[in-house]
Amino acid sequence: MRRLTRRQRTAAIVLAGLSVCFITLDLGGGSLQSAHAGMRGTLGALYRGTDGVVGPARRWVQGLPTAGSDQAEVRRLQHEVAQLHGQLADRAANTATTAALQKLRLAADRGAYSIAPARVIALGSGQGFDWTVTLDAGSTSGIRTGQTVTDGDGLVGRVLRADSSTSVVLLAADPRSGVGVRDLRTGQVGIASGSGPAGFQFVPLDPSADVRVGDRLATGPTGSTSYVAGLSVGTVTSVRTAGDGTTTAQVRPTTSSTSLDLVGVIMVGGSSASSASSAPSGTTRTPIDPGSSDTVAQR
Amino acid sequence: MTRLRVVAGLAAMLTALVLQAGLVAPVTVPVPVSLPAVLIAAVALVDGPAAGLSLGFAAGLIADLGSRHPAGVLALAWLALGLAAGQLAGRRSVRADAAVVAVLCAATALGSGMLLTVLHADGATAVAALRGLVPAGLADAVLALAVVPIVRRFLNADALRPPAPLRELVLGGSRG
Repeated sequence: MRRLTRRQRTAAIVLAGLSVCFITLDLGGGSLQSAHAGMRGTLGALYRGTDGVVGPARRWVQGLPTAGSDQAEVRRLQHEVAQLHGQLADRAANTATTAALQKLRLAADRGAYSIAPARVIALGSGQGFDWTVTLDAGSTSGIRTGQTVTDGDGLVGRVLRADSSTSVVLLAADPRSGVGVRDLRTGQVGIASGSGPAGFQFVPLDPSADVRVGDRLATGPTGSTSYVAGLSVGTVTSVRTAGDGTTTAQVRPTTSSTSLDLVGVIMVGGSSASSASSAPSGTTRTPIDPGSSDTVAQR
Repeated sequence: MTRLRVVAGLAAMLTALVLQAGLVAPVTVPVPVSLPAVLIAAVALVDGPAAGLSLGFAAGLIADLGSRHPAGVLALAWLALGLAAGQLAGRRSVRADAAVVAVLCAATALGSGMLLTVLHADGATAVAALRGLVPAGLADAVLALAVVPIVRRFLNADALRPPAPLRELVLGGSRG
């Protein structure tokens, strides 16, 4: 085992002291906010710039678990049939992206709101910290802090920070976040707390509420949640009643945070005050409007 | 440490941060694997505590400022990681070094999780850190088996090797 020299010991103590100063400064007030914003913007630009190389590798590795399954075979056969019938107009189009965009468009039609499509280019650090993803669209595409994000099937999270060309989304499954939800069968309102990979834990406001396995939960009610109401959150998989009569339920999420790729930011609400408002740069997206029939995401 | 070595270290750390966010974290969810932490420990095992603590602090501060948690948490944790790994530097096999890296990285993840728990007064973070301890250690070991040989080869490359110290000339006494 190597012994530290006096200079090394001094350097270690100074740097540790600096770290403690940074923690104190950051907890005490907003004096490091601009440094946070600058570094997020820089790293966001770096993630965006390297996604052309890293993205395909990530999608390839993420696709490995289902590579040998029947689902892949069905997809291949469907693709062949479509080719034989000549119904596939654009063979070069990415089928997964097209399907996701169609799903987002359906969601926009159902909710009567605009959706800005965006691709996930980075995931948060994990290790008990934030459950966040970085999107390749930002304030120049109209994205604002606080707006709800969906993948077309259900709730993904909400925008935590929007820079000019990237935005950071706090996933609903973050262990420190809670979502106001409604049981679609009984109408009971409660809080679904994020449990990371395990999904959510649902606690109804009425302790004696009737919650059953299979009940579906959606965001709501309108006005009482920071998310857009009516988005599917998950399905109850187990119900536990404590000795004092309190009911808690485990919820399997509708969306899997590990397989997020193309998502949509619902252009409702949000505040522009804390969003970065730097000069327009990078790619802008045309929001998917519920009324238009030929919306195209510019890539 | 040569200027080229410092530049190479910073480039490697930025690459590790990009790969962590773009590839390692999405692929290994929900196991909390940290490529930057593994890299810091691997570098410190070759170059010693001075390189470990400076690289750990710099990389941690960059990661902190790019995250939502208070700045300084990862800087402190990775500084300690670099220091500990540097003190354990020595001639070992790649497997032994990978095991050391895995144990230190898992301990660092647990330590930073606990520190964050104290700062946020949030029990969920502590539970997540404890649950992820064993899987993270195993995954870090696998990652270290790949990273340690690469780091060794790079740091021992001729282009990055520090110049040999000048040796004092010993002159024999002149006679006549």
